[in-house]
Amino acid sequence: MSADPTSTARSDSDRARGSALAHVIFNALLAIGFALLFWRAGDLPASMWEPLGSGSFPRLVLGALICFNLAIIVEQLRRLPHTSALAPGSIRRWLWQHRLALAVLALLTLYLLALPWLGFALASLSFLLATQILLGARSPRRLGVAGVIALVFSFGLAWVFADVFGIMLPAGVLG
Amino acid sequence: MDALLSSIDQLFTLSTLLTMLIGVIAGVVAAAIPGFTITMAIVLTQPLTFQMPPLQGIATMLAVYVGGSTGGLISAALLGIPGTPSSVATTFDAYPMARNGEPGRALAIGVWASFFGAVISAIVLILAAPPLALVAVKLGAWEYFSLIVFAMTVVASLVGRSVLRGLMSGLLGLLLASIGPDPMMGIPRFTFDTDLLAAGFPFLVVLIGIFAVSQLLGEVEDADQVRHGKALIASQVSFRPLDALRETLMRPLGLLRSSLVGVFIGAVPGAGGSIANLIAYDQARRASKTPEKFGTGTAEGVVASESGNSSTAGGGLIPLIALGIPGSAVDAVLMASLMIHGISIGPRLIMDHADLVYGMFLAMFVAAFLMLAVCMTSMRLFLKVTRVPRYVIVPVVLTCCVIGAYALNNRLTDVYLLLGVGLLGYILNKLHYPLAPLVLGVILGPIAETNLRRALMTNEDWSLFFTRPISLALLTLAVISVVMTLRHRWRTRSA
Repeated sequence: MSADPTSTARSDSDRARGSALAHVIFNALLAIGFALLFWRAGDLPASMWEPLGSGSFPRLVLGALICFNLAIIVEQLRRLPHTSALAPGSIRRWLWQHRLALAVLALLTLYLLALPWLGFALASLSFLLATQILLGARSPRRLGVAGVIALVFSFGLAWVFADVFGIMLPAGVLG
Repeated sequence: MDALLSSIDQLFTLSTLLTMLIGVIAGVVAAAIPGFTITMAIVLTQPLTFQMPPLQGIATMLAVYVGGSTGGLISAALLGIPGTPSSVATTFDAYPMARNGEPGRALAIGVWASFFGAVISAIVLILAAPPLALVAVKLGAWEYFSLIVFAMTVVASLVGRSVLRGLMSGLLGLLLASIGPDPMMGIPRFTFDTDLLAAGFPFLVVLIGIFAVSQLLGEVEDADQVRHGKALIASQVSFRPLDALRETLMRPLGLLRSSLVGVFIGAVPGAGGSIANLIAYDQARRASKTPEKFGTGTAEGVVASESGNSSTAGGGLIPLIALGIPGSAVDAVLMASLMIHGISIGPRLIMDHADLVYGMFLAMFVAAFLMLAVCMTSMRLFLKVTRVPRYVIVPVVLTCCVIGAYALNNRLTDVYLLLGVGLLGYILNKLHYPLAPLVLGVILGPIAETNLRRALMTNEDWSLFFTRPISLALLTLAVISVVMTLRHRWRTRSA
């Protein structure tokens, strides 16, 4: 079954416009942030022993970065007139396509936030189990394998690091 | 001659060969796991060598080093995540080759290239250690700064569709490196009085976050494939080491050139494998009759990167042995080990402990052969990673990354930085910004800044960057690198 040519053309156009807009927004935000840092770097103390102070090198880098941001913004703005307006629901569709990646990112964030409280072993066990289930370990056999993997890479690794390498992974409030 | 015979006598004992074999295995495994590094493996090995005779201890650590130089290839080829900073360029061709259904070929070519790189570097080490060391240490702050500028332009032009984005990515790395204590005066910069940023961005956290997190999130974008338990590589995997040997030896000049680049860059204190693999890759691409194939999974690219990074192991020993100057963090740990055994490092080392120095040369050869044996017998096992479903590999590797980031300095803040850098990497990846220049920027940023400031502290005259011959040559190469890339792209676009 071949794809509908109209919808393919539409999706390519959406992608081109979406990409150009994303570049413009990303670089504009970065340029504002870099400008603020450039201004802040001016407050860093100079040294009486050297012509360049603590803030000179970062200012050199930030100045160059702002120039590159502006160049990319101009480059992408010149492309925008050659693309058609985004179809309604494009952003929602993009979010839906990337739902698993975003969900894994959310689980990773929760895992890292839980580390100081639950400790490495418990937090890792929960993260490994939850992520494997989210990504497809749903049948009883897959769940059994996921459970063993979660145990080995949480409590198993914590034991190896503590008893073999002498490195204590975070024990947490409950540890 | 007596010293050589004595070193052979000490090195070729069952216990030394056994500890070296264990060292090679430990190095390969540590570098193959994203988040674990050669430096970490060497540091963990060091206390175990205290009770050994000096040569056995050093030979064991060299074995970890040589094994680790190759181990980074495994995750670079199979997952697209460089196991060590020195295998960043390996991801450019070994990963596409693996994704095209030839992971066994990518690994086998990489292992052979690493082996020949290590052997060539050991030969150069024996023949040219003192004169090369003298050239390497003649580089002043001006030349170091120019070398970094050259390396950054090479990297920016190597990857991605746009030089502009490549350069921006490199500068972003330099900016990340400037967060935290100033390398000269220790003044906190851009830390906003937070614990999170107080120590800055350790480059290994950036390496893990930028490559591993973004790559793994990319692996789970296709919900249908992931939920049906699809593995990283769906096709049948084969491993033919003899075919790979033939392919590697078909390019003797390229192999030699990349290895010599690795030896020289390794001999420059502070530069090391992280630059060598990229410059070797760039040189190979420029010399190639089919440069357009680089980045799509060509054997030439894998050979260049792997021989380039493996030969830095021998190169790094040159200033250490000849002058007592460690070329990298790993060499510094080796130096500390020698000192713990009561051996003073410096120009007299080769005169006072000739047997030990010859033993180190020979240990490089032995380690290279052991690495070859270990890799050729274990690669089939590593290739099984490609059969593991994505729903297993993604959370497991993410957990390893978290451990690696934490164990580096035992700091939870590094784990949070990992998340932030990972998110940045994912955004940059989606917008098609190359990630390698960013990592290189973080590694080279402090070296560039320190040398720029040191040069101007010595003499405020900026023109010295353009009047000192080596510095001028490096800056000219940087300009040529950018101009040639722009010209090539312009021609490709208008064709």
